[in-house]
Amino acid sequence: MNIEEYIESGQLELYALQQLSPAEAAEVERLAAEHPPIRAELISVQRALGLYAEAHALTPPAGLRERVLSGFQQAIQPQSAAEPATPTEPAAPYIAPAAPHYEAAPAETVVRTLPAAEAGSGFRWLAIAASVALLLSLGANWLFYSRWQQSENQLVLAQAKEQLYAAATQAVEKRLATRTEELGILRDEQFRMVVMTGTPQAPGARARVMYNPVSRRVYVDVKNLPAAPSGKQYQLWALDKGKPVDAGMLAQTTAVGDSLQRMKDVASAQAFAVTLEDAGGHPTPTMAALTVMGQML
Amino acid sequence: MLPESPPAAEQQLVARLRAQDESAMTEFYDKYSAALYGVILRIVRREEEAEDVLQEAMVKIWHSFQSYDASKGRLFTWVLNVCRNLAIDKIRSRQYRVSSHSQPLDESPAERQPAVDSFRPEHIGLQELTRRLNPEQRQIVDLLYFEGYTQSEVADELNMPLGTVKTRARAAIKVLSTLIR
Repeated sequence: MNIEEYIESGQLELYALQQLSPAEAAEVERLAAEHPPIRAELISVQRALGLYAEAHALTPPAGLRERVLSGFQQAIQPQSAAEPATPTEPAAPYIAPAAPHYEAAPAETVVRTLPAAEAGSGFRWLAIAASVALLLSLGANWLFYSRWQQSENQLVLAQAKEQLYAAATQAVEKRLATRTEELGILRDEQFRMVVMTGTPQAPGARARVMYNPVSRRVYVDVKNLPAAPSGKQYQLWALDKGKPVDAGMLAQTTAVGDSLQRMKDVASAQAFAVTLEDAGGHPTPTMAALTVMGQML
Repeated sequence: MLPESPPAAEQQLVARLRAQDESAMTEFYDKYSAALYGVILRIVRREEEAEDVLQEAMVKIWHSFQSYDASKGRLFTWVLNVCRNLAIDKIRSRQYRVSSHSQPLDESPAERQPAVDSFRPEHIGLQELTRRLNPEQRQIVDLLYFEGYTQSEVADELNMPLGTVKTRARAAIKVLSTLIR
């Protein structure tokens, strides 16, 4: 190898400027160790750069000395207490305790390649901090997951309840509508009240018919009727000039006095009667089974 | 020509630092802070950041001192590189964060304050150096040394082949070398 040429190549300058890859830098160091002229040139280059750096020397502002020195003391204190004078490996290349700034080497590598206890400890602390953060995060995840599950269950329950309420409200509204209608009938002056009283077969029986001759509507309201035997059903009759006209069957709920029931429209009537017939009704009333009867006043 | 060995004072300081003598760092500071601070400030351009970097560098030097090999060069060369690396890391990480806030060089405090306190007898002022280096040479050294540029970035920036970057850097440093004698 031509030493002169090597010196002239500018490689030593790039080394001193930390522009070489680790492999190239190691090559320069090896050659410098082997060839005194290269070593002398390298040191001369380094001194020249040192001179240039020094030309920029500048007294730091007042107070900086105290701040930096005490900051330094603080920074090294935990380490020196924990590991007093632990020798670090002296294997790093001389010129660059950090990797050279060559090509696209990221800035971070420079810091990490330093075999410094401070850097190692910093990493340890970072690792510990990261582990703690991970554990906290796992704990939080578990907590949030179980809360989420809980919320999910509560939501399902709430939705079921809400459906129940909705159904109940519908039922109530329906009943309210019925009651409102009934109240309307009772307050309507066009309706005629026909009180039906029990026959000798059912002396305690009582029922009423509300009849509107104008609209022809008929409602029945049971106060008390003997329970219908199975297979039997009460039937309402309108008597028009003595002739019975079918006014419809009483529903089970009506028979027990739950509410008013609208019956078939009746064109004209002077009296009403209820007989106990076979379920589904009969074209003509069975007079023997007459339960209640009343005249329109 | 073999370079002279470092002065006895430097050898003593190195021995104390190697023995992890904390008081040695005070002496180290008094001896090198002006030069190191000047270089750091020239790179980071902000006084608060320069202070942070100087302190970081002290800690780094302290903890990695075992990797300093006196047979390969002067203490100053080594610590200078530690500071330069930290300062360049700083501006690179800053460039990722904010790219718009860098001060122009002529507003930098480094240009306003006078250089003082040299520990080297052959110390030459910045004025003298800039007078000796031609603008092209100074630009190349500054980009490589203070701006954290790689050779290929310099080649791109100045639109010249990589080989030219190398020879100009050599020429510039050669001029600087002549000023030492």
